[in-house]
Amino acid sequence: MSGISSDVIRGYNDTMILYLLLDAPSYGYEISKQIKKMSNEKYIIKETTLYSAFTRMEKNGYIESFYGDTENEKRRTYYRITEAGRNYYREKCEEWTLTKEVVENFISKY
Amino acid sequence: METIKNYLETMFAKMPNTPEVTKAKAELWQMMEDKYMELINEGKAENEAIGTVIAEFGNLDEILADLGIKDAAVFKNYDNIRHVTLDEVKQYLKNKAYEGYAIALGVFLCIVSCSGFLMGWKGAGTAFLFVSVAVAVGLFVFSGVVMSKWDYIKKEVCGISFETQEYVKSRQESFRVTYAMMITVGVILCILSVVPLASLERLFTRDDIGVVLMFYAIGIGVFLMVAAGVRSKSYKTILSLNKSVSADGTYEPLVKEKVYKNEKVKAVMSVYWLSVTCIYLIWSFLTFDWHITWIVWVIAALVEKVIEALYAS
Repeated sequence: MSGISSDVIRGYNDTMILYLLLDAPSYGYEISKQIKKMSNEKYIIKETTLYSAFTRMEKNGYIESFYGDTENEKRRTYYRITEAGRNYYREKCEEWTLTKEVVENFISKY
Repeated sequence: METIKNYLETMFAKMPNTPEVTKAKAELWQMMEDKYMELINEGKAENEAIGTVIAEFGNLDEILADLGIKDAAVFKNYDNIRHVTLDEVKQYLKNKAYEGYAIALGVFLCIVSCSGFLMGWKGAGTAFLFVSVAVAVGLFVFSGVVMSKWDYIKKEVCGISFETQEYVKSRQESFRVTYAMMITVGVILCILSVVPLASLERLFTRDDIGVVLMFYAIGIGVFLMVAAGVRSKSYKTILSLNKSVSADGTYEPLVKEKVYKNEKVKAVMSVYWLSVTCIYLIWSFLTFDWHITWIVWVIAALVEKVIEALYAS
């Protein structure tokens, strides 16, 4: 098998994005770059997946978008995490710990 | 960079121009551009960078729901939108500009058609009247027939790409000053048209030249206003095409003009109001019975309704 199945990872795109927003606001490409780097280039998030996650989480009130200026005076959309987003992130972390624990029991015999 | 832009344009070509779609497109473009620039800065070849960006773009199906396009079935409806290409739009605008001059010239001829009479030329006056009205109607019919190939723009649900929209906007912008000048001069001519009437009467002790000059001044004024109006409307027509899809992403065609199935009726109706205007002006100027000639409009409106009820679909 090569790479990660997008079906499996889908439920955790939100977690990764929220994690990267915990300390400071960020923007689309920066987030996708960080995800690639932190996963040791094993997971590359597609642009459409990322955009879909942004709009969904913004609708749910987990993140907020705002316009910021870049070095070369281009307008860029930044995202920041909200209090609801932090709570959601904690829930997702607990969910993953549990999921990992459960699935782990069935791995290794191969 | 151009390749990536084109790729994105193609992906979004069939999407409606809603705020959600425009935003998504801008956001995705931002991310793709950032990624491309970084790859280039890392020393990647242009082709390689483009390949990577496109390969990692993903699938638009993923964001359909976020764009307010609820299900695939609704999305399918957008296939029914006739995509008007940039070349078609350029050709349309060109034809429309010519049509403007043709109709303006026709109206001008109608207005001055009675000048021979007013000058007191008996036979020549009648001949001039008929020739100018005939030429005017010829112009109306001719431009109507030429323009009929663009009927689909008015009657079908059409869409234009972002690029086309920008092109038309810039054309509209560069026409703005000319438009303002044409309308202003037109209005001034119409207002000043009474000047020769008042002044020449004293000069020549005959008022016919004054009246004739008045009609020519009005004629030229109306010519300018009609030509400017038709052209300005053509830009608005194209720019309003994308509005036929509503902002929340639901598909909702504009209420389009009445369509006549019968070819003959269609041809007659395309010049209907212009002919009515001609009849009104000719009748009025020949008899000077202005107090009664307005009835033409009432009858014409009535007749139009009847024809609509009988032939329109």
